[in-house]
Amino acid sequence: MRLSPAAFVSLLLLSCLIDVDARQPAARQPGVQEFDQPQAGGRSPRNANYEIDVALDHAARRLTARETIRWRNTSANATSELQFHLYWNAWRDLESTWLRERRLAGTFRPPRADAWGSIDVTRVRVRDADLTAHTRFIAPDDGNTVDQTVMSVPLPFVVPPNESIDIEVEWTAKVPRPFARTGYVGNYYFIAHWFPKLGVLEDAGWNTHQFHSATEFYSDYGVYDVRITVPQGFVVGASGRQVERTDVAGGLTRHRYRGEDIHDFAWTTSPDFVEAKQTFTHATLPKVEMRLLLQPEHAGQEQRHFDATAVALRHYGEWFGPYPYDHLTVVDPAFQSISGGMEYPTIFTAGTRWIAPSAVSQPEGVTIHEAGHQFWYGIIGTNEFEHAWMDEGLTTFSTIRAASEAGAPDGIAPRFFGGFIPWVIDGIALSRFDDANRYGYRERAEADAPATRTFRYWPGTHVGISYGKTALWLHTLERHLGWSVLQRAMSTYFDRWKFRHPQPTDFFASLTEASGQDLSWFFDETYRSSNVFDYAIQSFSSTRVRLKPDSTSEDRYRTIVVAQRLGEAIFPVEVVTRFRDGHQVSERWNGRDRRVIYTYERASEALSAHVDPERVLLLDVNYTNNSATLAPRAHEAGRKWGLKWLVWLQELLLTYAFFV
Amino acid sequence: MTRSAWLDGWRRVFRAPAIVAGVFVITLAAPVPFALVLGRAIETHLGRSLAADAAADGVHYDWWQEFMSQASGIASTFTPAVIGFASTLDHLSRVLDGSGEIFPIAALVAGYLLLWVFLSGGIIDRYARQRPTRAYGFFGAAGACFWRLLRLGLIAALIYGLLFMYVHRWLFDEAYGRLTRDLSVERTAFMWRVMFYALFGALLVAVNITFDYARIRLVVEDRYSALGALRAAVAFVLRHTDRVMALYAANAFVFALLIAVWALAAPGAGGTGWTMWIAFASSQLYLLARLVLKLQFMASQTSLFQASLAHAGYTAAPPPVWPESPAAEAIGT
Repeated sequence: MRLSPAAFVSLLLLSCLIDVDARQPAARQPGVQEFDQPQAGGRSPRNANYEIDVALDHAARRLTARETIRWRNTSANATSELQFHLYWNAWRDLESTWLRERRLAGTFRPPRADAWGSIDVTRVRVRDADLTAHTRFIAPDDGNTVDQTVMSVPLPFVVPPNESIDIEVEWTAKVPRPFARTGYVGNYYFIAHWFPKLGVLEDAGWNTHQFHSATEFYSDYGVYDVRITVPQGFVVGASGRQVERTDVAGGLTRHRYRGEDIHDFAWTTSPDFVEAKQTFTHATLPKVEMRLLLQPEHAGQEQRHFDATAVALRHYGEWFGPYPYDHLTVVDPAFQSISGGMEYPTIFTAGTRWIAPSAVSQPEGVTIHEAGHQFWYGIIGTNEFEHAWMDEGLTTFSTIRAASEAGAPDGIAPRFFGGFIPWVIDGIALSRFDDANRYGYRERAEADAPATRTFRYWPGTHVGISYGKTALWLHTLERHLGWSVLQRAMSTYFDRWKFRHPQPTDFFASLTEASGQDLSWFFDETYRSSNVFDYAIQSFSSTRVRLKPDSTSEDRYRTIVVAQRLGEAIFPVEVVTRFRDGHQVSERWNGRDRRVIYTYERASEALSAHVDPERVLLLDVNYTNNSATLAPRAHEAGRKWGLKWLVWLQELLLTYAFFV
Repeated sequence: MTRSAWLDGWRRVFRAPAIVAGVFVITLAAPVPFALVLGRAIETHLGRSLAADAAADGVHYDWWQEFMSQASGIASTFTPAVIGFASTLDHLSRVLDGSGEIFPIAALVAGYLLLWVFLSGGIIDRYARQRPTRAYGFFGAAGACFWRLLRLGLIAALIYGLLFMYVHRWLFDEAYGRLTRDLSVERTAFMWRVMFYALFGALLVAVNITFDYARIRLVVEDRYSALGALRAAVAFVLRHTDRVMALYAANAFVFALLIAVWALAAPGAGGTGWTMWIAFASSQLYLLARLVLKLQFMASQTSLFQASLAHAGYTAAPPPVWPESPAAEAIGT
């Protein structure tokens, strides 16, 4: 049934009133959904269920597809609007918000003419009403009128809370050459965030952000039933499990995949994949079939991928909760595809190189990380647009911890000659603090506060803050509270919020609950501010003093330790002074004042003073100044590294001498 | 003739140990002030910290990252690539990839190359004469040839600059990018890169050889015109391509062999004390070998040039009046 324009406008106005009313503040926490409890027979609310039929035209690099979405309003309020993500329109032209931000970040190179991608919705029907003509693009984040990554569809009726509707959408899409994560290279396709996808209707209204260059996704859980038609001979991997495979006319094969209780669906296809399967088994965790789609040139790294995936399934399963699906697909992305290191429900891309030394954690690091996202992203459905730290940070922390527990490779190997040739540097083994600091937190420590919604970060600071800072403060909490407390907090949080959409406060509440402590002071520093932690030994001396001028037997050493807080952020620290006779004195400093002075008079001379010697506060941006000794070896170290660098410099001169 | 030139080159190099010693001392001493500055920066950063213990005894990577996060100027070049054989790969890779970011030490590099331009006159003169020229002879020749060699060096810089700015950019940014952008197989991309390295390397070698012989002709034949020497060098290389290339290949093979040995023997980070000095000494030995090899290129090419021309093998004799060109000296006897 087609509505007359007048009737449509009337309904629209009415729905707007209702919608405005629905958005009145009800003292609700942003992000909450009233009816987000699991449905009977499912693990999740299953309120966004997609049946998709897609065909890939390999020659034209195009998708033609249609979907039927059964959507239930899980918010507390009625709505008369639908909002869809059309992510691929981020690569439609240079003026999309995604590309504007990429240019701001300074990491933009103009694409070639054939690189662009796009998605065009050709039809939208709801309850027999064709709403195609009424769709419009909106830009809720930045008002960019050119951006087409969010489509609004006004409904000619209201959808009350907890009521369902069916939405039919047809579209065509031009597959991009990869800008990020999705697209084609040669015969390889990784197709992600590719279909018109509903935003999340929260109690406070639609949460549908434009596609930003540094942030990822947010959507509701449901059942995905997807038919993918590709040329015969192309291997397909996808979210969910394959339930059907049929050869169809035209030399094509239709693959049907079904995934339950997932909030996104990605797929990949290539005739070149080498397929392997192994089963993850564990005494107390459910079995998981691991399917690996490997590039032929990486055939020798098959077991490394499986082992790393198993590390994540095992450790995260033991620590946080079992992986609830019985399948997981690992995709080894093709060279030049820029699709490596990305997570989607029950499928993820790892990433390795043709030459991958066993001493270096590639592919292990990225595999453990992305497999770990199945937990912190897949099962815990955080809003990655606004709180990217909740998935990236938790996953980074978990990755480093799991890799460390599993004894994963910890070497580093700079790459030379166009990045093809790695060379393992002897003597460098990454530890937890090295690894977490590699995300560039120190350099960007004051760039943004994590409480800022992630898409509002300055482009380029996301990794340092979301990944690095979060991992560092979680490591800090682990050392401050103990692993058993942190593990209990994280497993409680995991159990409480699986298949739902938690907010930062929910995570903090779990930590507070598990620790039995008010940790708001810590979150004020680490989450709500961009203050840096920097404690130091300001001065340290230990001098012989004669307490009684007429007696030599009373000679003592007066040791004065001045510890200083250089940064604005505050954390309680220990100040330890060691003496030559083996004794040590440990002081607990609340870290609040700018400095604290400790004076000791002992028979033995002091050797060193150290703020936070156990390195609890991994967030300290300048740990070198945390200690002082009376027998410093800086000169030795300076000479040694000066000589190393001298040799490097001499060799550089000799190399350039080739030209004369 | 190639074999005898190659052997003769070694003989000439080893019969002039003062040259080896001189260029080694320069290569060691020139960067020392910079190394002192860096060492001092490291020392200052470590201060009285206990972190210095780990940094002295091995690699304190966490401290290193902290240092790097605050580093600027020459300290920004202090990366893990300074350790062991990574250093060699780093430099070769930067040259071939055209990514030599040497800005913080550009003045040193420029000064060092200028010094080589100056010394080349004396070195080639000495190798051509095959007898001690003593300091006055060496520096006299160096001084007499300096401005000519500098003019030649500027032409060389222009041609190398064009090679890197246009040819390299076209090969590695344009052509390589076009050829590999649709490749899903890294190995194939690597093969393309190797081919481009070979192609660009061949161009570099061709230019290098030409300017090597231009320098030799300029000094040995006492030429004043850099362009004339270059033209004469091109003519020489074209007339004797096989021999010239064979000699270059023989020397390049020794270079590859030396690099391979260094890949196995290069010391790691190590500690302080005597092990540090042994590591430093072994590194200096390697650098000395590379310097000797560079001199061998000059000496053997000089030998080949002298042997290829009609002037009675360019056997040097005491000059009637110094400075006189080796060629004139040969004719004079």
